[in-house]
Amino acid sequence: MGNLKGIFRAGAIAAGASMALGLGAARADEIVVGASLPLSGALAGFGSFQQWGYKRAVDEVNKAGGISIGGTRQMVKLIIRDDKTDPNATASNTETLISRDKVVAMLGSCTPALVNAGALVAERAKKPMVTGCDPLEVFMSVRKWNYVWDIFFSVPELAAAQFKALADLGVQTNKKIAIWHDNGPDGQAVGGKIWPALAKEFGYEVVQNAEFPVDNTQFTSIIAEAKSKGAEVVLGDAITPQAIAIRKQMASAGYTPKILNIEKGAEPVQFAEALGKISDGIFVGGYWDPSFPYPGAADLAKAFESETKLTSSQHIADSYAAAQVLLDAIKAAGSTDPEKINAAIAKTDKTYVVGPVKFDENHTAKLPIVSLQWQGGKTVIVWPKSAKTGELLFPLP
Amino acid sequence: MSDVGTVLSTIISGMLLGGMLALTALGLSIVLGVMRLVNLAHGDFLVVGAYAGLFFLKFTGVDPLLGLPVIALFVAALAVPLYGLLLAPLGERGAEAQMMTMFAVSIILENVFVLAFSADTRSIERDYATLPLTLGSVTVPLIYVIGFAIAVSLILAVHWLISKTRFGRDLRASAADAQAAETLGVDVKRVQMATFALGAACAGVGGTLIGAAFQFGPSSGAAYLLNSLAIVVLGGLGNVLGTLVGGLMLGFLQSLGGLTLGDGYRDLVGMALFLLVLAFRPDGFLARRRS
Amino acid sequence: MKILSGFAEAGVLLGAFILLWFASDFVDDYGLQIAFRVLIYLTLAESWNLLAGSVGLVSLGTSCFVGLGAYVAFGLLNHIDAPLPLVLLGCALAGGALAALVSPALFRLRGLYFTVGTLALAELLRLTMVNVSAFGGAMGIFMKKDPPPLPELYHYALAVALIASLAITACARTRVSVILRAVRDDEDAAAQMGVRPYRVKLGAFVLASALVAIAGGVQATKLGAIEPYGMFGLQWSIDVLSMVIIGGVGLRLGPLVGALFVVALGEALADYPEAHVAIAGVILIVLIRFAPRGVVGFAENLSSLTKKRATA
Repeated sequence: MGNLKGIFRAGAIAAGASMALGLGAARADEIVVGASLPLSGALAGFGSFQQWGYKRAVDEVNKAGGISIGGTRQMVKLIIRDDKTDPNATASNTETLISRDKVVAMLGSCTPALVNAGALVAERAKKPMVTGCDPLEVFMSVRKWNYVWDIFFSVPELAAAQFKALADLGVQTNKKIAIWHDNGPDGQAVGGKIWPALAKEFGYEVVQNAEFPVDNTQFTSIIAEAKSKGAEVVLGDAITPQAIAIRKQMASAGYTPKILNIEKGAEPVQFAEALGKISDGIFVGGYWDPSFPYPGAADLAKAFESETKLTSSQHIADSYAAAQVLLDAIKAAGSTDPEKINAAIAKTDKTYVVGPVKFDENHTAKLPIVSLQWQGGKTVIVWPKSAKTGELLFPLP
Repeated sequence: MSDVGTVLSTIISGMLLGGMLALTALGLSIVLGVMRLVNLAHGDFLVVGAYAGLFFLKFTGVDPLLGLPVIALFVAALAVPLYGLLLAPLGERGAEAQMMTMFAVSIILENVFVLAFSADTRSIERDYATLPLTLGSVTVPLIYVIGFAIAVSLILAVHWLISKTRFGRDLRASAADAQAAETLGVDVKRVQMATFALGAACAGVGGTLIGAAFQFGPSSGAAYLLNSLAIVVLGGLGNVLGTLVGGLMLGFLQSLGGLTLGDGYRDLVGMALFLLVLAFRPDGFLARRRS
Repeated sequence: MKILSGFAEAGVLLGAFILLWFASDFVDDYGLQIAFRVLIYLTLAESWNLLAGSVGLVSLGTSCFVGLGAYVAFGLLNHIDAPLPLVLLGCALAGGALAALVSPALFRLRGLYFTVGTLALAELLRLTMVNVSAFGGAMGIFMKKDPPPLPELYHYALAVALIASLAITACARTRVSVILRAVRDDEDAAAQMGVRPYRVKLGAFVLASALVAIAGGVQATKLGAIEPYGMFGLQWSIDVLSMVIIGGVGLRLGPLVGALFVVALGEALADYPEAHVAIAGVILIVLIRFAPRGVVGFAENLSSLTKKRATA
């Protein structure tokens, strides 16, 4: 008897909950596009850049009058959901966007774990998704994609950039290299396989190759070993909190190699802000800089900085471009049919703010790599010489 | 594999670091001992201390180490209303209620951090935070030595507070048997509030040290919570000196793990050790000595 | 009286199960997805309640068994391509085995120490998975074949939730419940009366862990890609705790109400990211403070109050 009442009560709550869940459905005359982004949690920094890039692209299209579908101009509605840096949430967000909000296409999250989770859902639901923020080889290693497209850099190219830069700039060292990398997918690929092979090719001796978990906090043993082996070149691959820890702990251990490169982690401006002057001289590979000779590059950074009062990041560019690619494809298809949009994305061949974008048979579009160096709190392109915006600072101060 | 100098340096650094972590664990220990509360927001109190140190330096230009007393008071002042409004009313309820309330506080704190300070990783930038200290063949980070000195001083001070003052007596009575203490005239609620505030203050100071030695961000708290739990269990709940010993032990064993297996295994070694101690000596290695 | 009520409850559960099974033909994808999430959460919450509400063990180790189930499922699916029911049986066995393995150590801990111990266990397993590259390390593992279609996954989740609910019914509405409560309330006294507390706790822990592992396996099968931070992350343990507290610890309908609430809240928060996850914290605090027996307890109090007024 009490049980029945309880069941009715539970049913009422369930009904109320499902009504609440039904909020936010889109109107029929809008083109609905969705994205799940890490707006809170450990990757909140990335998420905010991406959100800005996606929104800007959509706003620009809407300001110009929307997209013409079957004769009528329709506005684009962008729905963004927070996945709290949890791949389970990225997957469920993507599901909701597809099944409840009826998006015609998706834009991706950031970092392989999150992008994969959402991409798998989109792929199964046969909805096109354009994403950045996922190194191409990692993207390709998941499966053969039919509906998901990735615009980002190629891991081997990023790995090779540092070696090429050192060779081209004629830097003199004792050719002893220490490699420190995290055990994430790109860390293992770059630090575990590509760098050791390239080191041999360019005539370096790898005196140490250390792997650590992505969220490691202590690097004393790793640093001590490199120091005792006298490595003058250190190549690292870690995310920002770890990159900051590495540099600080190196200083406290009295270890100053001539060349220090930290992929991924040394790129955002918070790296330099947290470290102050000991960030000077550190190298990092980048895939975009406002000085690039592509349409709208400098303006994009200026717009970001004046709107948000924060320093711009390369992540505004690939997200902006990814959204533009998708919107252009919808325009070219002239329809909200997912298959037609997908076919139109395949035919993309245009220069965007990140450079020329054209997808190959693996659904990837490659971005160029430059070698950046921190000098006085700002990044300077030191390689390739054709894109240089400053002089090399050598050795590490 | 590595030479004697490297090994010694690593182990000594590890133990110095362990001493610093002992300070961060101290707050958790006394709160656990007196209130039987697993403060899931403990790591976030640490982060509050780190941000406090950062902005103290930014706005006053004074070295945060000199400002530690201010920071300690600040974090304690934040903790008092938390206790009064959120924890005190739940006094009679089961362990989950207070624990989950503190977890909810942790969520709120982390999001307040992101809102107020952005998700960027920060570090307190001081010269002494990036200088080595070399004695013979042993090199250790200078900040570890400074941090260790501060941590030990503070731990000893708290130990004196708990063993030699009346407040300390009341605290020990409440920890041993709250109901009996109540009948003996101890204002258990006030003791608990003071303990909570003291625990928060210790966490805050530890956080500033951590912020100078390493880096921190809105979600850094969780990792330190687990580390602190390990130290607390090693040293024994509520045992102040035990916490110091626990920290030293953990630091020593973690550096051994780092030397032999690789730095990545430090945390793993810590957790494995934690579980072993829980399994075989849940009252800590110093079970006989109770503070 | 009690046994009758137990059968009645089981009957209600079976009836609901049959209804919900065929409901999949009438509900759209979104409904099935939400239902899937609620069912998985329900399984986790029921298992937690089994441990805490009946036997008095507060566990923060749910994530440990969710992750274990996930990795075991992928191992079996990728390496021997077993049919899903067998895979899930494997998950259950793994979960039960791990529980049995750690219980001698874990059960020496009473109360608070047990809670802390489960937390440490979960973290230890996560750290191991992150460090050991044989299990994919930080990159994780991908399912070689495509996951089954949504309605099929929904049916699996429904079946798992049914098993969990029936298990609770068996424990709460039969003579077993007396034994469980004796162990929960006073272990030593129970031992003196001939009950073997260690065996009872072990049984509850093994059963609960097996159920959680199955749920983890089903969730992983749906995702298609797993890695340590998502499957062993503490958010599972915390979500479960939120659910049972919101629903009402130890109350029969607590897990269901809690699961519905948490899923609905999750959807709402994702829809309005500006509202910020902090709201979840505030809601939790308010509920803990003013509805100590959760939403269900609150509703029960309300109804007994109105009953009193009616008869006064």
